[in-house]
Amino acid sequence: MTPWLPLVVMAPLVGGALAPVIAIAGARLLRAWSLAVVAVTGLAALRLTLEVAATGPFSYPLGGFKRPIGIELRFDEFSAAILFMTLIGGLALTYAGRYAIRGLPAGGQPWFQALMLINLGGMAGFAVTGDLFNLFVFMEVVSVSSYALVALGDPRMAPLAAFRYLLAGAASSVLILFSIGILYALTGSLNMADVASRLDVEADGMPAILALAGLLTGFLLKAALFPLHTWLPDAHASAPSPVSAVLSALVVKLGILGLLRSWQIFAGAGWAPLGELLAWGGAVSIVAGAGFALFQQDLKRLLAYSTVSNIGYIVMGLGIASQQAVMGASLHVLNHALIKSTLFLAAGALIHQTGCRTLYELRGAGRAMPATSLALTVGVISVVGLPPTAGFPGKWYIALGALDAGRPVFAVVAAAGGLLAFAYYMRVLNALYFWPPTHERVLGVREAPVSMLVPVLLLALCCLAAGVFARLPMAFLEPAVSRLVGM
Amino acid sequence: MEVLDLRPMLAPAISFACAGLVFLLGASDFWRRLWTLGAAVLKFGVILSMLPGSLQGQVYVYRLVDFPAGVGLGFRVDGLGMFFALVSSTLWVLTTIYAIGYMQGRHARVRFFGFFALCVSTTVGIAFAENLLTLFVFYEILTLATYPLVVHDETPEALKAGRKYLLYTLAGGVLVLLGCIFTQGTAGTLTLSQTGILPAEADPRMLAAAFVVFVVGFGVKAAIMPLHGWLPTAMVAPTPVSALLHAVAVVKAGVFGLLRVIYNVFGVDLLRDLGYAYWLAWIAAFTIIAASVMALLQDNLKGRLAYSTISQLSYIVLAAALLTPLAALAAVLHIAHQAFAKVTMFFAAGAIQRSTGKTHVHELAGLGRQMPWTMGAFTVAALSFIGLPLFAGFVTKWYLSLGALQAGAWWFLLVMVASSLLNAAYWLPVLFLAWFRPSVEAPVPVREASLLLLVPTLASAAYVILLGVSARVPGMPFSLAQAVVRFVTGLPEIS
Amino acid sequence: MTEVDALLQNIDYAAAVILFCIGLYVVVAKGNLIKKLLGLNIMETAVFAFIVTSGMVDGGHAPIVTEAATPPFASPLPHALVLTGIVVAVSITALALALIVEVYRRYGTIEADELRETD
Repeated sequence: MTPWLPLVVMAPLVGGALAPVIAIAGARLLRAWSLAVVAVTGLAALRLTLEVAATGPFSYPLGGFKRPIGIELRFDEFSAAILFMTLIGGLALTYAGRYAIRGLPAGGQPWFQALMLINLGGMAGFAVTGDLFNLFVFMEVVSVSSYALVALGDPRMAPLAAFRYLLAGAASSVLILFSIGILYALTGSLNMADVASRLDVEADGMPAILALAGLLTGFLLKAALFPLHTWLPDAHASAPSPVSAVLSALVVKLGILGLLRSWQIFAGAGWAPLGELLAWGGAVSIVAGAGFALFQQDLKRLLAYSTVSNIGYIVMGLGIASQQAVMGASLHVLNHALIKSTLFLAAGALIHQTGCRTLYELRGAGRAMPATSLALTVGVISVVGLPPTAGFPGKWYIALGALDAGRPVFAVVAAAGGLLAFAYYMRVLNALYFWPPTHERVLGVREAPVSMLVPVLLLALCCLAAGVFARLPMAFLEPAVSRLVGM
Repeated sequence: MEVLDLRPMLAPAISFACAGLVFLLGASDFWRRLWTLGAAVLKFGVILSMLPGSLQGQVYVYRLVDFPAGVGLGFRVDGLGMFFALVSSTLWVLTTIYAIGYMQGRHARVRFFGFFALCVSTTVGIAFAENLLTLFVFYEILTLATYPLVVHDETPEALKAGRKYLLYTLAGGVLVLLGCIFTQGTAGTLTLSQTGILPAEADPRMLAAAFVVFVVGFGVKAAIMPLHGWLPTAMVAPTPVSALLHAVAVVKAGVFGLLRVIYNVFGVDLLRDLGYAYWLAWIAAFTIIAASVMALLQDNLKGRLAYSTISQLSYIVLAAALLTPLAALAAVLHIAHQAFAKVTMFFAAGAIQRSTGKTHVHELAGLGRQMPWTMGAFTVAALSFIGLPLFAGFVTKWYLSLGALQAGAWWFLLVMVASSLLNAAYWLPVLFLAWFRPSVEAPVPVREASLLLLVPTLASAAYVILLGVSARVPGMPFSLAQAVVRFVTGLPEIS
Repeated sequence: MTEVDALLQNIDYAAAVILFCIGLYVVVAKGNLIKKLLGLNIMETAVFAFIVTSGMVDGGHAPIVTEAATPPFASPLPHALVLTGIVVAVSITALALALIVEVYRRYGTIEADELRETD
């Protein structure tokens, strides 16, 4: 069977574990090593993606043990998100090379690289596992490395923000583990397909409902859906910018991916009120996240609240559960990853060069750093959802799906969310380009160094491409979405 | 018949490229002027080159991006789009010349001319939009591109006006998007190539919702009362911007969107069956009268012009809402008539402000002797608005009246008579002051504005007369408008 | 009677749930960061206890293959799971303690309400 599948998970995990050793040989070699590891992972993921596009999902039993005894890795269309993970992770690592000089604690570089790689490996594992317990283990690999990465950030706020993040994250993990335990006790299996087929809410009654509720709450807490978002703004705002990009673009999506993975369990249980709950929860999150973002002065906090709002879109799309809405939600998972990493890396470059974090202090930075600001502007236009950029297709199909399902109210929320996004992102553009600068110093700063600028511009280009060529991912995801909706 | 052609894409691309050039390399006055003027003329040429084909019923098509489910971005030059694009590109040439003169010695000219070009690029994009989604995209970009022009002076007042402008127009834009979603959900397509894509058997609540969100969404930019609040406030902008906003780009984009909704999305037949247009007609009639009364109360010349604009735009809305062929003819024609007359007035007002510093009506006494050419052009435009025969405005009112009679709605004739009287009431005193009252200051010799300001003013005034005198000469906008009306009503011959 | 019977039969589950709730209460209600961490550990312990007991079979033997071993065996899988879970829990605890030390160095306090004032 194909050896590429375990490689996708093992390469970054082993590479990350070796990173502190390699660091002894020099910082330059370390950076080359991590980029090489990410590149190998990316190529393997590309190979697997092409295979899944050609032949459909496939499984790989680790160590040759077949289910239900062995551990099963399963690569389907959603697993192709690993491609986005390696792209964004690789660019964030490239970006971090220069950023680390001022943006990370002294001597933090080896640990940073190691943690980033392990984080990536955990995410890849999460995306390909077909087994509930491994889902939990990989989730913990991602979470623990994320807490540590946040702690590397701005020393004034990072330790406390990391601790709060840890508390919320660990609580949600425990909740998920508890639910997995109940499901195991009820069905005697940890394989998701088996659990789905054996679980019967009618017969199992209260414990089954408790397990599903726990699983749902746990994943939504990881995804930071309002009102479970309280840990997110602190953590994402105080982390180093490349880490913020990975956290906001990818790590919160694991909650969503967890929902998609356990969807078959929920669908098998026939738990009807779930869709309604998710749709309304998402709608509230869209508005609430945007409402908080409107009043943020700190640029990175504003972006963090924007993530809460965008997660709302995705959850709402999943809750509506019509073919088009789920398609829109899946697209938005990927496209939002591109957009938010563009925004965080560009914002990070602005903050890194000027030393200012608030919109008030950053006034006039658009004139001093035109290329970075252009990338930020592309990101802003994308996140607002103007075609032909990346933010449009997802939101468009979510809204159409809402109409399809006979729920125009959610289409209205989707459109209104776009307006609110316009409103708070307009403040960013106003500060960059139109308001007179508050610090003359800001006008004198230099454009970001090339190694930071290139990843930012590449991601901005991706934002445009993902909008223009939206057909491609849609055709690719089509079978997976049909399977989900058909359950 | 449809022809695949690069030119529909080329037209917006020219001004877009011009904007790029100005932003990147526009620091030198000479090159900036050359690019801006060159792009204006080139684009006018490209659009004009499509006119003969368009008159013979040819439709030029170019598709940019396709999404699944039938949506995408693309351009399609039909009669109505051609009409709007011609008007805006002609006026862009004039406004560019004027703006070069007007902005001499002012700050941030690179930004000004860059966004100026971007605005016109998006206006042509709106005109040539192949489907509602493309129209929406350009509609939103237009909002964003005009914002830097409104706040150009960077005074607190300008920034406040800019915020108000954004609040109104972005909210409108979201409603348009919602309308697009409703339409796609109901009709399964957003194309603007047919007359009436919404099926008559659709859920009536959905149709009603779509009509309301479209009317309110486009109505913001079309400044239908009570959605007009942003327009008088936005008067703080430099005068060429006001001319662009009030005659060419922004407000006409709103009106054009409404025409697209009435003729292409709903279709005349469906709207007549539903009866919604009747309400729209009354709202427009109310706006015509109320805005005229407001104009009467303004002493600031640009304020008076703003309310006059609101009133005139609703002529187009009213004419379109009547749904009869002759009224439709009036609606299409008035896009051009109002634009040229209003631009003339703004040019004149700006020239007066630049050379004498006068901004209020009561200060204009004796100005006819001081700036005879400028005031002459102003007079032509004012007489056109009042509706005197031989001027462009008369043609509109004539066909609008005939259209109202066709619809059996004679009471709208009263609205028109009242509006003409009100127009006379607020323009004639201005003319009287300027021509027949002596100046309060010591008599000053003739001191016209610079040629860069004067020539565009006179050119557009001359065109107002030309439109009025020779409306039915073949090749004039009239023949194009007739083709549009034949298409939207499906009748072989009108009038 | 039946309810009491059911409860008594599942006394291990009930205990796990009660323990979990105690832990949750400590995390939410206590202001001291160390106490919050203790609460988290109590929650984790509750879950581990729950999973381990779910593998219990009445009269079962340890699932080790020896000469004397006879069925029924207790399910070995939960033990393996919990072992992994404990490793995760320990690493989280270690990281959290390191963070608390750092917080104390920075702010001079680890009381949540005092920390909120220093924000």
